[in-house]
Amino acid sequence: MPTNVQAAETQAVGQRAWVWPAFAAPGLIWLALLFLVPFYAVIAVAMGDLDPIFLKPVPEWNPLQWDPSSFGRVLAGIFGGQLGRIAARTIVYVAVASLLCVIIGYPVAYFVARRVQKHKGLWLTGLLAPFWINYLMRMLAWVNLLGPDGWVNRFVEAIGFAPQDWLGGRHEVVILGLVYGYLPFFILPLYASLDRMDKQVLEAARDLGASPVQSFLRVTLPMSKQGILAGVVLIMLPMFGDYYTPNLLSGSPRTRMIGNQIDQFINQTSSQGGDGAALTIVLMVAIAVLMLYYLLNIQKVTKEARE
Amino acid sequence: MAFHPRENWDPRTRRRLYSRREFLWRAGAVGASLPVMSALLAACGDGGEDAVAEVVIGTPSNPATQPLSDSNPMIESGMAAEAGPLKIYNWADYLNPDTIEEAKAALGVDIELTTYFNEEEALQKLISGEVNFDVWFPVASTVGKSVAGQLIQPINHDYIPNLANVWPQLADPFYDKGSQYSVPYTVYQTGIAWREDMVDSADVDIDNPYDVFWNPKYKGITGLYDDFRETLHMVMHRQGVGNTPDATQAQVDAAADALLELVDLMDIRYSIDGAYAGIPEGKYGLHMSWSGDIVAAPYYFPEDGDPSVTRYLWPAHGKGTVRANIANDTIAVLKGAESPVLAHQFLNFMLDETNAVNNFGWVGYQPPQNGLDVDSLVADEWVPEYLSSAIVLPEDFDNDRGEVPIQLNAEQEKMLLDAWARVQAGG
Repeated sequence: MPTNVQAAETQAVGQRAWVWPAFAAPGLIWLALLFLVPFYAVIAVAMGDLDPIFLKPVPEWNPLQWDPSSFGRVLAGIFGGQLGRIAARTIVYVAVASLLCVIIGYPVAYFVARRVQKHKGLWLTGLLAPFWINYLMRMLAWVNLLGPDGWVNRFVEAIGFAPQDWLGGRHEVVILGLVYGYLPFFILPLYASLDRMDKQVLEAARDLGASPVQSFLRVTLPMSKQGILAGVVLIMLPMFGDYYTPNLLSGSPRTRMIGNQIDQFINQTSSQGGDGAALTIVLMVAIAVLMLYYLLNIQKVTKEARE
Repeated sequence: MAFHPRENWDPRTRRRLYSRREFLWRAGAVGASLPVMSALLAACGDGGEDAVAEVVIGTPSNPATQPLSDSNPMIESGMAAEAGPLKIYNWADYLNPDTIEEAKAALGVDIELTTYFNEEEALQKLISGEVNFDVWFPVASTVGKSVAGQLIQPINHDYIPNLANVWPQLADPFYDKGSQYSVPYTVYQTGIAWREDMVDSADVDIDNPYDVFWNPKYKGITGLYDDFRETLHMVMHRQGVGNTPDATQAQVDAAADALLELVDLMDIRYSIDGAYAGIPEGKYGLHMSWSGDIVAAPYYFPEDGDPSVTRYLWPAHGKGTVRANIANDTIAVLKGAESPVLAHQFLNFMLDETNAVNNFGWVGYQPPQNGLDVDSLVADEWVPEYLSSAIVLPEDFDNDRGEVPIQLNAEQEKMLLDAWARVQAGG
């Protein structure tokens, strides 16, 4: 019995309290190195100086010497400057793309988790298939499909419409690119959540006279809220930092996202690298607020489940 | 005294002496007062006195000799080459792999090539001091600051007899008189490339060829370089201002406004591979283009494509009076080179005519070689006839309508960057 095994393990090492932390230590050190050190480096660049000859950011490692002026510039840019438009656009893109992912992804996850009886493994493999191809390659494929002579335009012409300039900086193309790219990341956690849902609860709902629609709305949907939230968080985080989707599918200033701006500050006009680092941290804080909502929600649900 | 300007803090108090804002103000104020030299202030750690690290900026009318320094000596003549490997730091796809193999055989050592995508990235890594290479390929307008920052070392010409093969216009260049720190690598113009099957050549061959980028007939198929200097300069050439570092705020703002117009007028897109890859793919019918990019473009056409639709114009060769950029890249030996003698030998190898031409055949960017007969480039099929306009001539550097980009001081660069940020956020 698993419980007995667990109890036996705890008993055997229970005298030595250091054993469990020691197990976790390598992983914790790894995480600390891979998160804290780079994070500190980003702050050091944001608060650092500019090399007077090369006009490149020089990190300032000593916190006593930190100069927060880059944060002032970035925040002024977001609230009332050029960056504000880009930030607002990014939020709209991510919100619309996430909503579309939910609308498109939920039925797929629901179908595979609930309705598929035969060959479930095959369906699951199908869900995982997009992960086998690099995101960049999948976007490049769209560049060819949407190009002036691409299949999409050929189809549009064949049904009697004028070919469109799909890659000429269209909001909808970038949003659909984001949806296409991140949809599999939404479906998987949602599938897992729907799959492990207790079927007896549904049967109880039906026995008590709920219609299929009612049992979905009153039982399945509320119970899969965690899965939806996990999927949305999982796709929103990378979407906020995405820059190659708008780069590849548009390239127009009209569709620039925050990620493009950070890329420009750091890679192209690197005398503004400090501002790029500051913008990275501002974005991180904004995302952390979203994460906080997710974590609080999980905590609430776990507490409710215990009660 | 020689002093590294990055050390702008006082080691005794650990206090930074100038904030970024103060620095920009100072550098701008000093730069504005000196036509060819931007004196940059740095504090002297040991005595608290001010030390001045100078970026010497040459212009065609006022060529500059880059200063030599005791702390950055050139290597002695007649030294034996090191055992290698020779470590090269270069742009991606900017050295023919066959040429590297030939250099390995000629120098008898292994060669390790590391690449970067833009000079900003390269400089960032080089000034961090955490990378260690022997040879680097700075653009000409970076040579001055690389000398002031002691990134590159003086070249001992005894090792470089092939420097005699270089065009006279570039053997003694204005940014580094006497080629003390760099040798020319390639030359290129900034022009306009288009596909004749998508764009009417008569719409480009007009008094102000740049106007074609504002011609709504080509909405949706037009692209500009994602490069703040080149693209803002292009507009400033169109407006008759030129690429002068003395451009006023109003002139730079006007250039940014003109670019912002393009967002809706042309559905404009910014790319860096639009000329050599986007034009062959049909993604663009019209794009700003470095001459070297368009020479390479035919190789990027799909199998069923017809590269002969490609056209190129350097506006300084156009009908009207507008000007256009022309520039060159260089090869230099890094100060921290572990194999400086080998590095010198490599520079000499690349200036050999046969090697330079073989390299050109793959890279698409042309070496400024005396022995290279420009007509023969077409006859020998290095450049197709329909792109012969993309061949750079030595006299292009003497052309009154050709302008070389000059290194900017901090204030000038900031002005362009702010304008570019506005352009990129636009629409």
